Amino acid sequence: MKLATLAYLEEAKARSNTDEEYLELAKGNNESYTLVLDPEPDKGVPEQIVIGFDNLDGKMNDFWLGQRPTLFTLTGPYGVWVDILRGKMGATKAITMRKLKTQGPFLQLLQGANRIIRWVEVLRTIPTEFEGEYAQYDLPGE
Amino acid sequence: MMKAAVFRGIGQVEVVEVPLPEPPGPGQVLIRVGYCGICGSDLEAYHTGMYEPGLIIGHEFAGTIFDTGPGVTGWQLGERVVVNDAIPCGACAPCRLGRPQACESLTMIGVTHDGALAEYLTVPAGGLHHLPDEVSLRQGALVEPLAVVLEAVRRSRLQLGDRVLVMGAGPIGLLAVQCALLAGARQVVATEVDPVRAALAGRLGAAAVLDPERENVAVALSRLTGGQGPDIVYICTGAPEPFLDSISLVRKGGQIYVLGLCVEPVPADFMSVVFNDLCIEGSLAGPSQFPAAIDLLAQGRLDVEALVSHEITLDEVVTGGFGRLVTPGSGAVKILVRIGGER
Repeated sequence: MKLATLAYLEEAKARSNTDEEYLELAKGNNESYTLVLDPEPDKGVPEQIVIGFDNLDGKMNDFWLGQRPTLFTLTGPYGVWVDILRGKMGATKAITMRKLKTQGPFLQLLQGANRIIRWVEVLRTIPTEFEGEYAQYDLPGE
Repeated sequence: MMKAAVFRGIGQVEVVEVPLPEPPGPGQVLIRVGYCGICGSDLEAYHTGMYEPGLIIGHEFAGTIFDTGPGVTGWQLGERVVVNDAIPCGACAPCRLGRPQACESLTMIGVTHDGALAEYLTVPAGGLHHLPDEVSLRQGALVEPLAVVLEAVRRSRLQLGDRVLVMGAGPIGLLAVQCALLAGARQVVATEVDPVRAALAGRLGAAAVLDPERENVAVALSRLTGGQGPDIVYICTGAPEPFLDSISLVRKGGQIYVLGLCVEPVPADFMSVVFNDLCIEGSLAGPSQFPAAIDLLAQGRLDVEALVSHEITLDEVVTGGFGRLVTPGSGAVKILVRIGGER
């Protein structure tokens, strides 16, 4: 399924909410997130994609396309998100190195580093189609 | 005796009869107050108690000269004036370096000394500025906040064609919107939760006004600035969130200029300051900007009347002034207190 679509988010919710390791790390988390995938027209990604979700006691709760006020907003070029999902770049490294621009309480975000790392591992199991030139890196899923 | 608004402590201001000021001493002038504004810092003191109990508050004011002390020359009785509220010592290192607002012994009318929410007050003649006919006493009471904003805009790195974000559209933010545009900003975006203030920001030139409680400012700003972020962020609110957010909203190599008073410590992401090559600066007052502020008003280059949401009397300061300012949805922006009145 295509990255950052409602179907993708539905699948992300289903997988992360049944992953025991993730749920243990995420217990008590009630944060909300906006993820912004900035366009890269020269690589076939013409439009910005904005998605969001919130957690309720660690479980992914609501999710949506478009912008809403959230505790955290993480913004980066589409290719950075692809690199994270491919495992070429660690999510926390992307955050600390400002490859992903972060709005929100930064230290609070980093305190959840292990949870984020596990969440990305869960996402990596989803069969994922990327846009434009990044299609060559589509993930087969598990 | 005269009426004055006296600060008593957290949440306590009362209008009482107090003795008239002593006749002006050498180098001093007795002012009959025409108009005085209630400032955001007065409100901060009302919330936090940061003024001394017993202080007559009020530092944004204009009036007429009622009496002059020995040695005062060049000023006429009845002359219309505004008064610089910040009184530097003139002798310390910052004063000698031309930074009087950073004076090591700075005193401020209505903050450290009795102020202008009173019928009369005594001030040093050195702080007087003549008010030309084109500027009313009512507008003159807004010279001080305008000078504060001019100091910030002139000292910031703002260049012709820059994009600007003004966080908070209270009186200082609304002046910042106008001054940034006047200084050549190509786009000024504001953030504000109060709908009255937001609408005013739009009317005064903001290209967009974002409500952080209703929309994602980072996403909206990214779209408005082509993904770059603003060149300069002016923080014009005392709320803590914008202080943290500004670091991630401003563009790489940009500047954050702080005018708002946030009394509580704010956790800040200084790693981003380093990684993104940011500059953070702030200033308290604009004592050297009074002449420019008066000239800009006389030339009609800025709209300060739009900021005045309410004009009240001294007797109404407690409920019609502070009471209104602490009530969400009251529509209060700048509240001016008419004391001696006149033009």
